[in-house]
Amino acid sequence: MTAVPAIVKLTPNDVEIATRAADHFTRIYYSAYDSNTRLNDLPAFYRPTSSLVWNGKPFQGAAGMRELIEKMPVTKHEVQSFDCHPIPGTSPPSLLVSVSGSVTHGLGPSGNPTNITPRNPEGHPRVFSQTFMLVPDPTAPATKPGEVAKYYVSSDALRFVG
Amino acid sequence: MFSSPTPAPGSRAIASNALRSAGLIDRDATMRDLTDKPGGRKASSKIRSHRPHLLELKQPRDSRLRTGSSSQAGPSNPLSIRGASRVMGVRVRNLGPTATPRVKPKVKAVEVWKEVVQKRWNPETQFLNLESLIDDELVKKSGLAPPGRGGDARDAAVIFKIASQLQPKVQTLSLANNNLSGVHLQFLSHYLPDLANLSLQNNNIRQIKDLDILSSRRGRLQKLRELVLIGNPVQTLGAKEDNEKYRRDVINRFSTLEVLDQVAIAQIAFDRPVASTSNAAVAAAPSATTFPCQMSPSFVTGVDGGIVSNFLVRFFNALDTQRRSLVDAYDPNATFSFSANTTIANRARVQGFHTSLPNQTKLTWKAWLGSGSRNLSRVATDPERALKSLHIGALEAVKALENLPATKHDISGPPEKFCLDSFPVVIGQGMGLLLTVHGQFTEVGTEGIRSFDRSFILTPAPEGSPAKLAGWDVVILSDQWTIRVYSSHEAWKPGPLLVQALSREEQEAQQRTPAPAPPILDPQGLLVSMPEAQRNLVMQVCQRTALNVRFAIDCLAGNAWDLDRAVANFEQVKATLSRDAFL
Repeated sequence: MTAVPAIVKLTPNDVEIATRAADHFTRIYYSAYDSNTRLNDLPAFYRPTSSLVWNGKPFQGAAGMRELIEKMPVTKHEVQSFDCHPIPGTSPPSLLVSVSGSVTHGLGPSGNPTNITPRNPEGHPRVFSQTFMLVPDPTAPATKPGEVAKYYVSSDALRFVG
Repeated sequence: MFSSPTPAPGSRAIASNALRSAGLIDRDATMRDLTDKPGGRKASSKIRSHRPHLLELKQPRDSRLRTGSSSQAGPSNPLSIRGASRVMGVRVRNLGPTATPRVKPKVKAVEVWKEVVQKRWNPETQFLNLESLIDDELVKKSGLAPPGRGGDARDAAVIFKIASQLQPKVQTLSLANNNLSGVHLQFLSHYLPDLANLSLQNNNIRQIKDLDILSSRRGRLQKLRELVLIGNPVQTLGAKEDNEKYRRDVINRFSTLEVLDQVAIAQIAFDRPVASTSNAAVAAAPSATTFPCQMSPSFVTGVDGGIVSNFLVRFFNALDTQRRSLVDAYDPNATFSFSANTTIANRARVQGFHTSLPNQTKLTWKAWLGSGSRNLSRVATDPERALKSLHIGALEAVKALENLPATKHDISGPPEKFCLDSFPVVIGQGMGLLLTVHGQFTEVGTEGIRSFDRSFILTPAPEGSPAKLAGWDVVILSDQWTIRVYSSHEAWKPGPLLVQALSREEQEAQQRTPAPAPPILDPQGLLVSMPEAQRNLVMQVCQRTALNVRFAIDCLAGNAWDLDRAVANFEQVKATLSRDAFL
């Protein structure tokens, strides 16, 4: 690890743009995840250099994401809380986004066998915690007026936590 | 830091041209000369004379007859006014018992509106131009009162419903110059949820909150790219008072908006998946019934595990006992915020933790929610709160922490109650570490248990920095803390993950086969993922010698994990140890 260069102060405007970007991102990311076209849609958020860790198992890049979701059961995510910071010392700022929510896999409780105990939690929605680092792609020029930059997922760490 | 919050030079013209080509800009909004037909209307008139009516093709003649005679117009007759009121009835019931739908079949009115919509529809540009309806010849001849000129929200709903039947789907809609107020937009997003461009120019929309009915935050117009509110009181008064605030208030209601009032919005873009059109082949739903891999233990790579465990032990100890001392752990420009996720987790509910654990019912969210929880899914619409709840700078971060309820993190207790992942990330020109920690703490006072997730961005503490001088190897650049209702740490227990529960027979069969060996822990040996016995020894060595975790482990390992031998050995060599060896 080497030292970080001098820090540029964050402005309220940076915070606002970051907040809006996180709102936009969480909507399109999880709706892509839950769609039938996720195999095409989700890897588009990543680049070959992106690092992913899914429940402690590492994957590399858009191809790794594709490999991961290829064998993933059908999902339904519900975002219950999210937060986003522009990371100090980066310009345009990289964003740290953390999301807390629930995710249902497969058929949910209705897909469970009928002869299990009522206290058996399996098949019920899990709590997930996912942290992203979103960074600007210097090779993707802005295509629309007002566009600060095109961002992608450079790091993604997910855990089931409940 | 974000360059050009206002559009780059020329982008205003680009936006205007884009709008003009989409027909969204009124050529002269103040001019209402009846002989001056807007461009879009001319085009649609031409199309109308050369093409069969799309709606008529889809509507068998007899279905329209049924509209008048049958009292049970079904879905086969989507354009009947009964159909419209039936759908509205459902929505109205949701809104409250006082609003009752009025069911009054006005077949003639529907027919006239169908013709008006058809005449003003341009399928090539997917543009429906419903400007100045009061001036429309057909409307005048029929004596109908358009919405905003005597017509109400239900009349507007009839028109929107007709528009929703158009093929291809309406992308751009202009409702300019109709004297519409907020109430007339009530059913717009219900019938036209996929609108990309909407002009409400020169209407009578007064309040920002009138737009809530269209807001993407409420699951409404989720694809809206462009909105024109010019010439409404909300815009003219807003711009006069505080134009920045007006724009912020509107923009915050539409997360997908790119252009407002013909001025581009500064924003971050993503390679968002292209929305599938009705023509695209529909992909099959994912069919896997198992997970692609099992739950793995804590994952740490690219960094000495000792650095991570040192940091966490010291951080959580200070958080629990002397928060003020954490001021050195944060970079002078660090960001900190916390978010409360108050939803009771499904599995925790099924397992009955709320009632089976002794102090859970005493817990309340008041102290957390009252101290500036930054759950953006709740506060993002309020830019002031979103800004205030983000604490920038080490002093601000610690001040915020000191206002929060006291905590006890049992980090020297059972290691399986915590889980962490950490790997290097690029921060600007340098390298940093993304560290996520999941676990639980006891809230002091009620003694109830909460679960938490914490995401840190760490960088090496620069030489001579307050962090370095205080003995921190790494310094916090960003810290996001999510506090949530208690869930069991069983969630991250290494091993197979189930999609559905096993049946009783399957469970019995599994019990007959020997359990697989536990997976090998990360060789970099973090404290939190160590066997409890060894962990306790490490903690004791740390306490008695002030050695840091890394050196304490080395010391114990070199002395066959015998506590007394390790401490004696330390006493012999401590004079030769460098500063790096200590906490």
